[in-house]
Amino acid sequence: MRPSVYIPVAVLTACIIAFQIIVSALNREFYLTQLTMSAYYSLVILGLTVLMGYAGQISLGHAAFFAMGGYTTAVLTTYNLAGAAGNPLVKLVVGLGLDTVSTNAYGAQTQHLSPWVSLVVAVCLTAAVAFLIGIPILKLKGHYLAMATLGFGIIVYRIVLGTRMFGEADGISDLPAFRLAGGLAVGGDPGLRVQNYYIAAFLLVAGVILLTNLIDSRPGRALRSIHGSEEAANAMGVNTARYKLSVFVLSAVFACIAGVFLTHFNGGIGPSEAEVMKSVSYVAIVAVGGMANLWGALVMGVVLNYLSLRGYFGSYDEFVFGCILIVIMLFMPEGLLIKENFRILADTAVRIVNKCRAGKQE
Amino acid sequence: MSFKKILVVFVCLAFLAVAVSCKKKSGETIKIGAIFAVTGPASFLGAPEAKTAQMIIDEINSSGGVDGKSLELIIKDSTGSPEKAISFAKQLIEENKVFAIIGPSTSGETMKIKAICEDGKTILLSCAAAEDIVNPVAKYVFKTPQKDSYAAEKIFEVMKKKGITTIGVVASNDGFGLAGKKQLETIAPKFGITILIGEVYDKKATDLTGVLTKLKANNVQAVVNWSIVPAQSIVPKNMKQLNMNVPLFQSHGFGNIKYAREAGAAGEGIIFPCGRLLIVDTLPDNHPQKAVLAKYKKNYEGKYGEDVSTFGGHAYDAVMILVEAIKKAGADKEKVRDAIESLKGFAGTGGIFNFSVQDHNGLAIDSFDMLTVKGGKFVKYEDK
Repeated sequence: MRPSVYIPVAVLTACIIAFQIIVSALNREFYLTQLTMSAYYSLVILGLTVLMGYAGQISLGHAAFFAMGGYTTAVLTTYNLAGAAGNPLVKLVVGLGLDTVSTNAYGAQTQHLSPWVSLVVAVCLTAAVAFLIGIPILKLKGHYLAMATLGFGIIVYRIVLGTRMFGEADGISDLPAFRLAGGLAVGGDPGLRVQNYYIAAFLLVAGVILLTNLIDSRPGRALRSIHGSEEAANAMGVNTARYKLSVFVLSAVFACIAGVFLTHFNGGIGPSEAEVMKSVSYVAIVAVGGMANLWGALVMGVVLNYLSLRGYFGSYDEFVFGCILIVIMLFMPEGLLIKENFRILADTAVRIVNKCRAGKQE
Repeated sequence: MSFKKILVVFVCLAFLAVAVSCKKKSGETIKIGAIFAVTGPASFLGAPEAKTAQMIIDEINSSGGVDGKSLELIIKDSTGSPEKAISFAKQLIEENKVFAIIGPSTSGETMKIKAICEDGKTILLSCAAAEDIVNPVAKYVFKTPQKDSYAAEKIFEVMKKKGITTIGVVASNDGFGLAGKKQLETIAPKFGITILIGEVYDKKATDLTGVLTKLKANNVQAVVNWSIVPAQSIVPKNMKQLNMNVPLFQSHGFGNIKYAREAGAAGEGIIFPCGRLLIVDTLPDNHPQKAVLAKYKKNYEGKYGEDVSTFGGHAYDAVMILVEAIKKAGADKEKVRDAIESLKGFAGTGGIFNFSVQDHNGLAIDSFDMLTVKGGKFVKYEDK
């Protein structure tokens, strides 16, 4: 980690801790619920920022990777092992100690696959799928790449909607909590709220550190060179195809991990998580954050998702995200959270204050 | 000041406005939360439900409220997304500390928040149809729409009387269609009926001759179409074109007069199960539901200028059951829950509700009537 990253990471961590202390002191811990959810969505957005902003490759199918993570863990951890004790595969799983026993909402004990296993399976599956579809589609550029990823997103959505195993239009409910080490658990119980907030925040900070390091490294410079000009990068000996594919897989894995954790936190998942509009809203947030600006994407990801999940946009939710995308693309392709805008804001504030002062003196 | 500068300032002001707008109301009110899919793919359910709920709450408040308190309705638009329903349910329970939650509109969303309401000891009156909502019974979770299985049983009863033994089923690929298809497949053997072929079509389909040709090739004696989408008007038209002269049965999703109008002459003779809201004019005056149905239909159509639908009726029933229970037990969550559970003979739009500890739906199979289309209107189906 470069020393210049220490300060923002320290500030972020301080903000996270301060917010929790303040809301707990005010007895308003319920704010943390939506903040935790937003943090997971922001993890998707961070991955997408590196892909879009730094490597210059668009993806309109990231909701699909999120859904792959969520649905994989949902299917695997809601399957009752006790009901199929004779199956050799189930015997092997139980024999290896990969099962967990949880108590469901109705007080009954269920024996199911450990979420750790489903997390590993989900990550491997998503990485494999991203790798396989990445090879052909990352050869495309611009609109064609957008179309191909959009197509992939729609395919995943239709599969989820039409498969009985995935609960069709109803999705999957009643997931067990994801027990991490030392009494920590990812789950929807109100008693777990504070620790869930910190688990999500930890993943988010870890994600930021990882990605800033990546961007500042040799592969990071290669990625930026691809964004600048793929031909020039190629000519300088950068293996563009390999770098593009790796960053695509990496960002898919980020989405997948977010999907696994959020699905356990929510206790269920539905096909709406795989919808195309979801992918579009991720892209919109990356654009507002400023494309090649991890911190901007992080802040806007948390803020916009938080407002959306608390229902501030009401029935205009998709409309708001659509408008944001259009306005930002038209007037601020650099994003909202860039130094210039802060300067404009500061200038305006100073001018208003000065005018007020002048007005008083007269 | 350049345009860009104005924009930056404007965006900041917008955020401020949002932050300030979350004002708090206080006073002697009973807060009722509502989660409806007002927009999005399930808006045909959520929009009439939200309008209905708002209308009744306003009516009750203008006539003095309940138990000396006025009601405050907090409507949240879930757009049919379970993750939003989860977020809103937690928000309503923990933050707004609502007395009860009405909705959600879809079964998927209801199943996601069933455990949350149970944990939060908050009454949930769902407007979604799936049987899983009340089976297994959760202490605080109720639902008002009739069960899909009753609709299927009603259809099979008519078929049995007509001597039909082999049928074909088509259903849309949304939650409503797929749940109905599942019920038909489970219940058919009990009535000695064989489903020769079951097909699923896209909910946005505009031509179904392909699917129906398959049914024709199987020589089915009747067709059942289970969906809620405009395809319900396309099926009868396509059947005419294919010269399929077998009876067409539809689900309670057909309970919207505009579908019958769309189907035109081809729609004549369609048989479907439905609550009595659509045939209120033909009900005898001494029918226990007559007064409720007529009042709801008149008020809704008068206020919103659109045809009343059975879905809005589910929200009507949910709010009225809650209000009735509050009148009986006072504004105490636990007592109101017990009051709902012991509510008997309550006339709603969906039927006569008789709740019990085991039955958190409270409707019996006679809550459905079989209707048919005659002269472009819905009338009660009579056995010949």
